[in-house]
Amino acid sequence: MSRREDIIEKASAIAHMPMPVQKVLAYIGNPDADLRQLAKIIAYDPGLTVNVLRMANSSFFGGANKVSTVKEALTRLGLNRVYQLVIASGVAPFARYEIKGYGLRPGELLEHSVAVAAASETLARELEITAPPHTFTAGLLVNIGKTVMGSFLEVDAAPILTLAHERHIPFEQAEELVLGINHAELGAILLERWGIPTPIVNVVRYRLRPDDCPEPDIALDLVHVGDVIAKMTGIGMGIDGMQYVPSEAVFARLDLTPQQMENVMAAIMEQIAEVRDILMDNTL
Amino acid sequence: MEIVVSISDMKVTSRAKDVIVTHALGSCLGLAAYDPVAGVAGLIHCLLPLARDSKAPQKNPAMYVNTGVPQMMRAMFGRGATRENLILKAAGCGRMMHISNQFDTGANNFAALQKLLQVNEMHLSAEDVGGTIPRTMRLFADTGRLVISSCGRSWEL
Repeated sequence: MSRREDIIEKASAIAHMPMPVQKVLAYIGNPDADLRQLAKIIAYDPGLTVNVLRMANSSFFGGANKVSTVKEALTRLGLNRVYQLVIASGVAPFARYEIKGYGLRPGELLEHSVAVAAASETLARELEITAPPHTFTAGLLVNIGKTVMGSFLEVDAAPILTLAHERHIPFEQAEELVLGINHAELGAILLERWGIPTPIVNVVRYRLRPDDCPEPDIALDLVHVGDVIAKMTGIGMGIDGMQYVPSEAVFARLDLTPQQMENVMAAIMEQIAEVRDILMDNTL
Repeated sequence: MEIVVSISDMKVTSRAKDVIVTHALGSCLGLAAYDPVAGVAGLIHCLLPLARDSKAPQKNPAMYVNTGVPQMMRAMFGRGATRENLILKAAGCGRMMHISNQFDTGANNFAALQKLLQVNEMHLSAEDVGGTIPRTMRLFADTGRLVISSCGRSWEL
């Protein structure tokens, strides 16, 4: 068995989505899914309910009027948004671990992931375009492969980084040379096996190399730049630092100006604390 | 005591036993200042180079090089530090690989600092800037010793 196959097999065996999240995802996959029934399923699980309500009431997702039931949250935010928040709640715990091999203390990767997600959505607002509904969740999930490699599989990233520095290649390319797979692809494979919708999986798969994506995808473009912005701010950054190459094609496609990028960097500093606290507090 | 400076934040101390530290400098600028005569140490972690209107009151002046660095120096002068005695060392200002110059916030942060120092006829005594590595800065208030750490290694600046 190659190192790549070994990693995929071990990762699939270890990591699972929490049960309440699996139930909700399975229900939404049902063509007869309706809002009331979904509200009931979520309401049966205290952890999930708290997460959905806190997110619906946060200034980042919600509005001025507070909601107190899951049904109200569903009406306020819409089925799609709540669905995204449920996925986010299910996968966030993976980002809370210490990722020793990648030089991340407990909670740091979650902080970084929240920064990517917040930057991706804020970028859309700054550019005055509508972010596809899965943008935030996809942004939150882009590092799940890193958690699995660095925490569950105890990969030591130091020799990978040394190789990247020596050869002046991006970190994910060095991961491929050493492990036979990079953390973005491993994350995508896992999410696919968990039944996470394809648009999210695609963003996770291609976020480091958006030029390889067969079709242009606005969510991918936003998350790619959101990821670049989060890395530059240094929030929850691991030893791989900024050893990655931004896509000029994406920057051109979004027609982004340096001032807009700086505005997003300044804005996310306030947003991330709120979202991080919600995801950090509630374990599923 | 260890005093942590977060992103867009600044701390000044006159207590010799303090260590001021800032983690995860990406493209941000970290500037350490130390006056050995007055025994005052300061550290700032700036996210961006320029506040668009530097005269207007800022919600958080430490976010920007052009408002935060002068603010830190004023705080240090208030504790007895003088411009002549101040030892300045910069770190951070990293960049993504091959990022185009206009989006190179790290380089812009460093340029903003250089311009500010030039106008005020001050200079850096050491710098460790650029590249793709994340950096942590530790300033020891007893001696002004500055230690940079990254990827499990540490060195003195």
